Formats: sequence, C-alpha cells, structure tokens
Amino acid sequence: MAIPGIVKLMYRNVKVNVDPGTLIILIGLPAMYLVFFGFGFGTMIPGGGATAYLTFLTPGIMSFQCVMAGTVGGSMLWADRRWGMLAQLLVGPFTRLQYLLGIMFTSLIFGLAGALVMLIGAFAIIGASLHVTLWGALTAFGTIAIGSIFFGSLMLLISGLVKSNNAYNSIQILIIFVVNFASTVFYSFSTSLPLPIQALFQVNPLTYVANTARGGFDGALPAASSWQIPLLVVETVVVLAMATRVYVRSEISFV
Amino acid sequence: MNPVVPNSATQQAIAVENLRHTYDGKHFALDNVSFGVERGEVFGLLGKNGAGKTTLIKALTTLIRPTSGKMSILGLDPAQDGQEIRRRIGVVQQGESFDFATVEGNFDIYGVLWGVPKKIRQERRDELIRLFGLQDVRKKRAFDLSGGQKRRVQVARELMHDMDVLFLDEPTTGLDVIMRRELLDSVRERARQGLTVVFTTHNLEEADYVCDRVAVVDEGRILAMDTVENLKRLYGGKKTVEVTLAGGDSQAFFERLRKKLNGGELKAEGNSAVILTDDPKGTLQRILELSQETGVQMDWLNIRKNTLEDVFISSVTKSENQ
Repeated sequence: MAIPGIVKLMYRNVKVNVDPGTLIILIGLPAMYLVFFGFGFGTMIPGGGATAYLTFLTPGIMSFQCVMAGTVGGSMLWADRRWGMLAQLLVGPFTRLQYLLGIMFTSLIFGLAGALVMLIGAFAIIGASLHVTLWGALTAFGTIAIGSIFFGSLMLLISGLVKSNNAYNSIQILIIFVVNFASTVFYSFSTSLPLPIQALFQVNPLTYVANTARGGFDGALPAASSWQIPLLVVETVVVLAMATRVYVRSEISFV
Repeated sequence: MNPVVPNSATQQAIAVENLRHTYDGKHFALDNVSFGVERGEVFGLLGKNGAGKTTLIKALTTLIRPTSGKMSILGLDPAQDGQEIRRRIGVVQQGESFDFATVEGNFDIYGVLWGVPKKIRQERRDELIRLFGLQDVRKKRAFDLSGGQKRRVQVARELMHDMDVLFLDEPTTGLDVIMRRELLDSVRERARQGLTVVFTTHNLEEADYVCDRVAVVDEGRILAMDTVENLKRLYGGKKTVEVTLAGGDSQAFFERLRKKLNGGELKAEGNSAVILTDDPKGTLQRILELSQETGVQMDWLNIRKNTLEDVFISSVTKSENQ
C-alpha cells in the first residue's frame, strides 16, 4: 500500500528537524521554565510552596508547547526556503497543500511530544501531587493539539507574508514573549490586572488552551471553556485557511 | 531560424507552444517560446545567464504557472495534472537543495519521499554513491561538502527514483573534467534506455557532446533550434576568423572592421574578436589592411571550422543587432 504524501513529508520533517538546536528550543526552554519558575516563584507562594505552584504550572507549560511547536513549524518552512528544499519538494510528487499540511502535522506531533515530556518531567519533580486522570489527559492533549495547529498555522501564515528572515525571527520572538506572558500559562487571570493586559489575556488563544488543560487536570473545566474552546476551533480553522491561501498562491522562487 | 512548432503532442515528451511568462508584468522572461522534445531525446537549452532557461525549466516542472501559452508534458496538461506530471519527472535544480542530514541520509530521505521500497532504496543509494565517487563523504553532512561534491550528491540523489523525463539545470557546475564527462556519459546512457532529458547549460562543449538537439535561448526567445550537426551545417558555408590584438584601441579597431565587413558577423570581447563569415580570405585581407592603416599589431589571427559556440555567438549577435 502506498504511503500518503503527507505522511512521507512528516517522516522527512521529523527526521531532518530532530537535531540538538530544535530540541533545545522545543524541550529545553520550556523545561527550564518549569524548573526555574516552578521553584523560583513557588517559594514566594505561602502554604503549598513550590509543589502547589508546580502543580498549577505543569498544564500551563504543557500548553506552552503549542507555541514552541508552531515556531518550529515556521522555522521548517524558512529552512526549506533557505536551503533550496522547498522548490525541490514542490517539483516532487506532492502538492503545495500536502507540503503545508506536512509541516502543520509535524508541528502537532512536536507539540504533543513536547507536552508529554513536560508531563513526565513534572511527575519526576512533584510525583503524586500531580493528579492526572484519563479524561484530564485527553482533555489537555486534545486542547494542546488544537493549539498546536493554531500556532503552527499562524507561524506559517507569517512566514508566507514576511519576506525577510530577520523580520520573521523578530516577529517570532515577539510572539513567543507576548503570547506566553499575556496568558494563563504562569499565573491566573485577575481583574486586578491593568485593563489592556486583561484584554490581551482574554483574546490570547494560549489562555484558552492553558485554562482548558488546567481544567482537565483539576477534574472540572472552567465555565469559560464553553466559549473559549469553540472560539479556539474557529480561530484555528480561519488561520489555517489563511495560511493555506497565502502559501498556495505564493510564487516559489529559487534561493 | 523559426522555432519548430510541435506537430503531434502524442509522440512527444514535451510540447510547448507560444509560451510567455512575466514576473513583473512589464518584461517577458519567456517570450513566445515554442518547441517539442521527442521521447528518449537529450534536448539542450543554451543561453547566457538570465536568458530565460531556468524560468523555462520552472514552467515545465510546474513550479510556476506561465502567463500564457500551451504546454504538454508526457501528454498531460500542467495546469490540470501537475501532481501526475511531477510523479513522472526528475529535476536537478540550479541552486543547492539539501536536507540537514548526511549524504547517505539525504539519499534515504529522498528515496522515502519518492516511495522507493526499502531494499531497492538501499541498493540504489549504495550504487549511486559508488558511481558518483561519494564513498569517502557518505557519512558527512551534505552542507559540509565542497561545491563539486554537493553537485554530485544533488545529481545522484535525483536518480534514486524512476522517471520518464529528467530536467537538469546546469548540472555540471563545479564538477571537475572527469566527473563532468562521467555525468554526461551517464545522461547519454540513460537516454539510450528511453529517458527524455532536458539539459540547460552555458557550456557549449558539453551541449555538443551530449545533446541530440539544442535550442539557443536569449532574452526569453528561442533564436535557433535544430540538431547540433544541422546547426553547424546551417552555418557551415561560413568559417570563423579569430583575431586577438596586441594592444591599441581595440574597440575602435573592431568598430572600423565591422564597417568594412560585408555581411560578416563580428563579436568582440576585450582585445579579441570572432568573425563568422562566408568570405574568410577577404576578411583576413581586410583585417591585415586595417592593421596596417591603424598601426595596431596582432597577437593571433586564425581561420577555423565552425563549432557550436560559433552558432551560439552568431545567433545572439544577430539578435542583439536587430
């Protein structure tokens, strides 16, 4: 039986991108957040201390993997452009859409794998304090999967529109910073925050992912998930459609 | 010479009719290009840098959609059957293209992408690595290789999969003489077995060596197209006179010479010029007269038979003068 084109492209993407540089970005950075922030901020929290904060932080850091996987997806496209493989693959037995979806699904795999590594890491640190049920894990990983496609599409959309590598890198760093810290990954939403920051929290898709993943771990989804998850799905479909449109229509040039 | 418009698309691997393409809406990178390539033929596209060869390859390999005109690849329409066409062609592009992997890894990944079964993949990989002299670097990362080695990897990698048409965009760039000859021999051998090859180059010697037919391309147009022998015969009534000046104002000298020549085509570059003429003795005499008149000495003066290079220079010079 012939292997579908997207699967072949995903195999290639994983094979080519599992290198120390990618792993540091994908696993090392979030792991450092988990350890340093977990213990650093944890000591400031009265009562439960580091364990309580790490229990709170783990689903957040798992959700953060969506953003990291998305940036890796965007970087794949840039690397393929830079090293000539984009044009080479597009004269191969694939459609442009297959190439795009190949990157998208690779981002999804990286996002889920990264989240799993964070979960295992958190278990190694705080053990039984982290309550995970099958339903909770499915909820968390399901939401992270949607988030990975959202951020993967977003980064591919940006890399399809931005022509300069430096500009793309700057935008990517800005997105990682803003999306990460203006979300509920590290701390809860509070009405005592300045209004513009509150607004950023509310429109940030990573907040939706982190809230739902955390709800899964807590055994009860927050009320806001009833509108945040459908909205996340709609946003994902829209951004995916935009990325596809921009990319499929683009004129491919040799570099 | 008028380009040949293909008569029957069914007999041809490639049929192109009145193809035009513009990137900016003003200048045409391809301007009314028409030609056909028979199955099993090695077809050469000759032209200077920027002549339009790579744009033509991009259009033929479905990488860009031409502004207007008709194309048929293996009897299929690129606008409708792009993916089916791409399944049946191989393309070695002009620029580098590698995955971040070893030489072996690049071959393996490419084999997987093309759906080559594992056993065949490994056999082909090892055979191609041996054929292209890459044994010593097979475990090295492709990015760390020299220019010539990279080119060999790129050409060899493309041969990992089966195909009906192979597009080679300046494949010999950076190769040494021996490897270049081996590659060209390999292309000819595969063409004998039925592979259709479209080969772009600005090296006329290798086009003469490997191509059954060539098209001279300049400014997006085909200026001349025929078998190499016919093209030489077409210009066969003429001879080539070569002249190199020892010093003096060469530009003024060649300008005056151009005026003195009756119908001869002169292409000057620095102190040297080649003149395609049907009156070589008369041309020689005029050069000597002009040398005496101006006092400009000559280092080299020679009459020789035409080569493909002369055909190329003549076509391009005619086009520029028009």
